Amino acid sequence: MRALWLFPLAVLLLTACEREKREFRPPQMSGETDEEITLSSISAGSSPPTQRTSGKGQEYEDNAYHISQGQKLYHWFNCNGCHANGGGDSGPALMDDRWIYGGSIENIVQTIREGRPNGMPSFRGKIPDDQIWEIAAYVRSMGRYTPKTASPGRRDAMSPGPAEQRRPPAEMHQGGMIPPSAQMPQ
Amino acid sequence: MSDLAAGKDELRDTDLSDAELSARLAKTWGTARGIIGALSTVDHKIIGRRYIFTAIFFLFLGGLAAIVMRLQLARPENQLIGPDLYNQIFTMHGTTMMFLFGVPIGEAFAVYLVPLMVGTRNIAFPRLNAYSYYVYLAGGLMVWFAFMLNTGPDAGWFSYVPLSGPENAPGKRVDFWAQMITFTEVSGLAVAVQVIVTVFKQRAPGMTLDRIPLFVWAELINAFIIVFSLPAVVTASAMLMMDRLVGTHFFNPAEGGDALLYQHLFWFFGHPEVYIIFIPATGWVSAIVVTFSRRQAFGYLPLVLSMISVGFLSFGLWVHHMFTTGLPQLGASFFTASSMLIAIPNGIQIFCWIATLWDGRPVFRTPLLFVIGFFFIFVLGGLSGIMLASVPLDTQVHDTYFVVAHFHYVLIGGNVFPLLGAVYYWFPKFTGRMMSERLGKWNFWLAFVGFNLAFFPMHITGLMGMPRRVYTYQPEMGWSTYNLLSTIGALVLFVSFVVFLYNMIASARRGPLAGDNPWDAGTLEWATASPPPPQNFNRIPFVINREPLWAEREKLPVATGLAVEKRELVVTTISEARADLRESSPEPSIWPLLAAIATTIAFVGSIFTPWAVVWGGLLVAFTLVGWFWPKNNKEDEA
Repeated sequence: MRALWLFPLAVLLLTACEREKREFRPPQMSGETDEEITLSSISAGSSPPTQRTSGKGQEYEDNAYHISQGQKLYHWFNCNGCHANGGGDSGPALMDDRWIYGGSIENIVQTIREGRPNGMPSFRGKIPDDQIWEIAAYVRSMGRYTPKTASPGRRDAMSPGPAEQRRPPAEMHQGGMIPPSAQMPQ
Repeated sequence: MSDLAAGKDELRDTDLSDAELSARLAKTWGTARGIIGALSTVDHKIIGRRYIFTAIFFLFLGGLAAIVMRLQLARPENQLIGPDLYNQIFTMHGTTMMFLFGVPIGEAFAVYLVPLMVGTRNIAFPRLNAYSYYVYLAGGLMVWFAFMLNTGPDAGWFSYVPLSGPENAPGKRVDFWAQMITFTEVSGLAVAVQVIVTVFKQRAPGMTLDRIPLFVWAELINAFIIVFSLPAVVTASAMLMMDRLVGTHFFNPAEGGDALLYQHLFWFFGHPEVYIIFIPATGWVSAIVVTFSRRQAFGYLPLVLSMISVGFLSFGLWVHHMFTTGLPQLGASFFTASSMLIAIPNGIQIFCWIATLWDGRPVFRTPLLFVIGFFFIFVLGGLSGIMLASVPLDTQVHDTYFVVAHFHYVLIGGNVFPLLGAVYYWFPKFTGRMMSERLGKWNFWLAFVGFNLAFFPMHITGLMGMPRRVYTYQPEMGWSTYNLLSTIGALVLFVSFVVFLYNMIASARRGPLAGDNPWDAGTLEWATASPPPPQNFNRIPFVINREPLWAEREKLPVATGLAVEKRELVVTTISEARADLRESSPEPSIWPLLAAIATTIAFVGSIFTPWAVVWGGLLVAFTLVGWFWPKNNKEDEA
């Protein structure tokens, strides 16, 4: 009988829930994370490219709260102005499986922070670092690269398609296509 | 039992001596030994005891959550728990108190006491009764386990959209809340149906409508309120789940949905819910007042009619929770009027009880003390209720601590104080032992002082503008002293519950033996042993008076002729309670437990995937087939 009490305790310890963690007051002056991330999966020599990540990516991608905050920020910072609801407009689509500059969350953070050629502006100094991570986590959820249980449900707005959590999980293709903005001769 | 040859004469209770009859009936109606026996029992007393125990367990959990909140609010800018945990804790407190304690506790007492008070041997649909308990337990444990895994609901006990909608409540927290509602619904509706059928069809012969004990009337009316109100919240929570999980747009204005619809559906349940919590308490109070004032209830008819009219009116004033949502003026006026109207039947009840005490020779034991405390606190809560019913005042104090003070006065005053009285009153019947009077007095005075110290200052903080559901406040607001007083009061109230818990445990072990009727009460549950034997009564009593034990002090008249070797009870007509049929009552079965497990799997699964409704439904259907599989025994032929 006594072992029965241990059971819920064991469950608690094993599944301390990362998905639901909420940080309402992130450190106000958090510095930028210093990711060393490549755009290519190939490297000179036999070893794969040298990369160093802070591990913050996993934390943000698996967390329902961060992704949901990213969903709000995505609209508040007018990401939808170019990328629409992820389907792409003047900017490339975010919900498909093609990633021009790499599809890992660290790549996306770099893309938002540094900007990319052909139209993607740099947001360094404009968006706090942890919010960049949140937006990147949301972008990842658009193609359902995030866990189903952490991905957002529908927004309280007109719905262009099924919510992120209703989409099938995607496979990733690195560097697949030329962005629409680069296709047209300037 | 099934091997009784059809032609052979059955053994009837007229053929046996008292002692042998009692032994044989106890065997027929008893619960098998062992874990399987305990899990398949259909004895309403065993299940009722579990129900009461579980509901009081959740009362303590909810109370602990409240203490944590009060400690956090004890001083301004406190860092004890952060905003996230605070949100979860106040939601768990409200949810637990309303759904896992408030609704079930009234039903729990009904499950135990109604069959005894109407003089029958088991509740109607006893297997459903077992099922409903397991479902209730599973729902409560589910939401508390979710809370311990940092997935506790955090959008308030009412979970308004859009705050609880898919956009603003990410993760699975609110889904656990919504599914907990479904669990409570299923179990609550099941018990309500059982109580209605038991009261209508299983009353002892001669217990006409005007001889039904007031407690049973209260539980009957309560059951009807449950049947009519709970479907509204099932609808609301199911729509919320679908919005969150499947992406429907019930509450999404951008796609033609309506966020206010949720509030209407919720409060169409939520206001009757307040009376679901209060009406059983009027039953407890009536029973205690009558017993301890040593006379029949003054104004039995007005009491019953006022309970019924409270039941009706409770469905007509839900909108007073929504005065600040921008109602048409006519609507606001109508619901102001109806909200004030309900004070009339409640006033009639209070005056009837006071008149009963006035005219009787009251004996001030602990149960009656709690009833006196109830008068004081509940009337005060009713007065602030009248204030809140008027739109201009409500608009000012909406979502402030004034409202918190008001509803704790009516809910704790209207339910918890009578409950404590009821536990002291019926504890001898449940366990066969008396609770300590000395500790009972301590319990009462600590609870009374602690309660008023905790909640009276909240009127003032509310009028000073302190909003509800904030996890902290600034020292400049000037709310610090009152909050500190509230915290101290809450701690005193908590100590009173520790005394209560200790009194229960100690008395159950070493309390003086009670005997059948320690309070010299008049209703039928005191006509049998304490605790009652499995069959409740050896011979079904025949009722000729509203207080049968006072009318027939020597020996109750009985109705005879029931079979002894199988579970048989008397079915009577609805109004006159003339003996109508002999009807068999179901045997114990493990299937209700299995069905409850299947239901739990289906419900918890549907938090994560809508397909759980399909395969979970099949699972439940399978267990129901097992449950209702014909076994060719007497029971099925009847």
